[in-house]
Amino acid sequence: MTFYLIRRVAIGIFLLFLMSAMFFTLTRVTPGAPISVGENPRIHQATITLRLHRLGLVDEQGNSYSIPQQYVLYLGALVHGDLGDSYVNNERVTTLLMQRLPNSILLLGAALLVALAIGIPLGIFAATRQYSKLDMTTSVVSYVGVSIPSFVLGLYLLLIFGVLLKQSPLHWGFPLFGMHTGGVDDPIDLLYHMVLPVTSLAILQIAIFSRFMRASMLEVLHQDYIRTARAKGLSIEKVNYKHALRNAILPIITLVAIAIPQIVNGAIITEGIFSWPGTGQLAFQAVVDRDYPVILGVVMLVAAGTVLFNLIADVAYAIADPRIRY
Amino acid sequence: MAQVPPIPIGPTAGGLPGATPDQLSIETTIQQERQLAKPGAKADELGGAPELGFWRLAVMRFLHHRTATGALIILGTIVLAALVYPIVTGNLYAIQDYRHPYKPPFASLQHLFGTDDLGRDELARLLRGARVSIEVGVLAVVGYLIIGGTLGALAGFYGGWLDNALMRFTDIIISAPFLLVVIAITAATGGVRLSTVIIVIAATGWYEIGRLMRAQFLVLREQEFVQAARALGASNSRIIVRHILPNALAPIIVSATLGVSGIILLEAALGFLGYSIPPPEPSWGNMLQEFEQYLLDDKAYLVIFPATALVITALCINLIGDGIRDALDPRQR
Repeated sequence: MTFYLIRRVAIGIFLLFLMSAMFFTLTRVTPGAPISVGENPRIHQATITLRLHRLGLVDEQGNSYSIPQQYVLYLGALVHGDLGDSYVNNERVTTLLMQRLPNSILLLGAALLVALAIGIPLGIFAATRQYSKLDMTTSVVSYVGVSIPSFVLGLYLLLIFGVLLKQSPLHWGFPLFGMHTGGVDDPIDLLYHMVLPVTSLAILQIAIFSRFMRASMLEVLHQDYIRTARAKGLSIEKVNYKHALRNAILPIITLVAIAIPQIVNGAIITEGIFSWPGTGQLAFQAVVDRDYPVILGVVMLVAAGTVLFNLIADVAYAIADPRIRY
Repeated sequence: MAQVPPIPIGPTAGGLPGATPDQLSIETTIQQERQLAKPGAKADELGGAPELGFWRLAVMRFLHHRTATGALIILGTIVLAALVYPIVTGNLYAIQDYRHPYKPPFASLQHLFGTDDLGRDELARLLRGARVSIEVGVLAVVGYLIIGGTLGALAGFYGGWLDNALMRFTDIIISAPFLLVVIAITAATGGVRLSTVIIVIAATGWYEIGRLMRAQFLVLREQEFVQAARALGASNSRIIVRHILPNALAPIIVSATLGVSGIILLEAALGFLGYSIPPPEPSWGNMLQEFEQYLLDDKAYLVIFPATALVITALCINLIGDGIRDALDPRQR
């Protein structure tokens, strides 16, 4: 187990390294010098050199580094937890990320929890009542859920709950836009603002989780030991929820790790639609501004998170399922 | 001496199912074979139950799947309309009519789906947008199949460094925020032409089919029929193309079908962010982007139409993909 852990961490670090090399090269071979963005054209040459030097693009004399040299510098800083400076904001990328990250974690974490809390029971009920009306409804809903991208769902939700409901005699609806001034200090207001973005992010995952849970549960229910348990005279509830569920729910652990990059994908647009001040919005603005260090920072952050969660998922799986030996 | 039953020859050997073979059957089957060689001769005319091929059975099973067939009809209508409507109406989608902007839908036959901010016909623009979606979806999936299919087959068959490289590439793509990467590459390649979008999507999204292909080849290359082919002296390339590939195809077809809907949604997301085909050329994504602001007015139909078209198309393709899965592998139901 210890050896396995060490190996997994090493592979993870190697992956991140490969990825940083890939995306670093990609961002450096593309057109668009950082100094040209929102900069005074009459700026002094020495100032430009100084700034480019601080960004790790040229040396003190203004001779530009080659891409491998730039990459080595970037890696050197990365080891110290420094992702470089933003081209546009005159801020450290780490500072920008840290400002936005809590908001994103709040939104994405809530979406994931909601998806788990609804998707898993839905899948279980559908499996234990196979071909019932509930089962059919669940599968229809999950089909639709998979076919609606989160941004289209976001627009629909805005229209229904933000506009139509307010125009209706109720004069009531959910707020259209992101965090209110209250922020974290006003939890009720915050929750109120989170309803629509969380829903639009969670539906896809609910669809995926419930489908997966149903399949997993059905597979377990057809196994011999379940028949044995039934033959012993145990009640259906006890067999379903005690014997079958324990084994069926295990693969979900892996699925959660896979879900994280998917939710982040959705968040890039959803945060934009609902003006949620999170990392996704930051990333999108960075793409618009061609602010490559920030793009690279977000990509690396998400990748590191995914690698970490995959590792945690595998370890958790090994702990939860004693049949698995590394 | 016991009577030796005649050796059945030919595709319809044995005649009717359940019919006892008689002395004449050698002659009749040879007769049948000669008739079959004649152009235009149908197996049905020979009186025997025709033996249906795998694909024909699959098509029949698919057509018995009511939801999938319905989805196919709806999708077919959309595709047909997208192909035919622009031919009939020409460049109607681009004609501006400043006297009649924001005409509400279903009010007149002239503009059935209403008009947009510049008085352009919404229906024509929707169908023009459908062409973009279909084009990107189909071409990018062809890209998936070419890149992912080839690399996956080679990795599964030969193993070694190619296999390792494929798996690591997959790991990288899976752990990166895919949408952001696609946007960054599209933005970086300097333009938002449709060809760029297709190439970027194909170049980054093929891994799923690659992995599936690899898994299929890993299983199939150990099977007896491959050993038999090798024992008969078949070369590696012949084994890959003629023996393993046809057996590996079923899950690949399903995955490719589902891939089309994924690509269409991805392209729409890119268009919504302004990183696909730029206006005035309409695509569902950039129509959503352009008219997002009208959501708060009473002109929400400008958003609802492209959004709904997108969802219906993706849903139909997913349903068809599921129908194909059931048709190709009835055990999985």
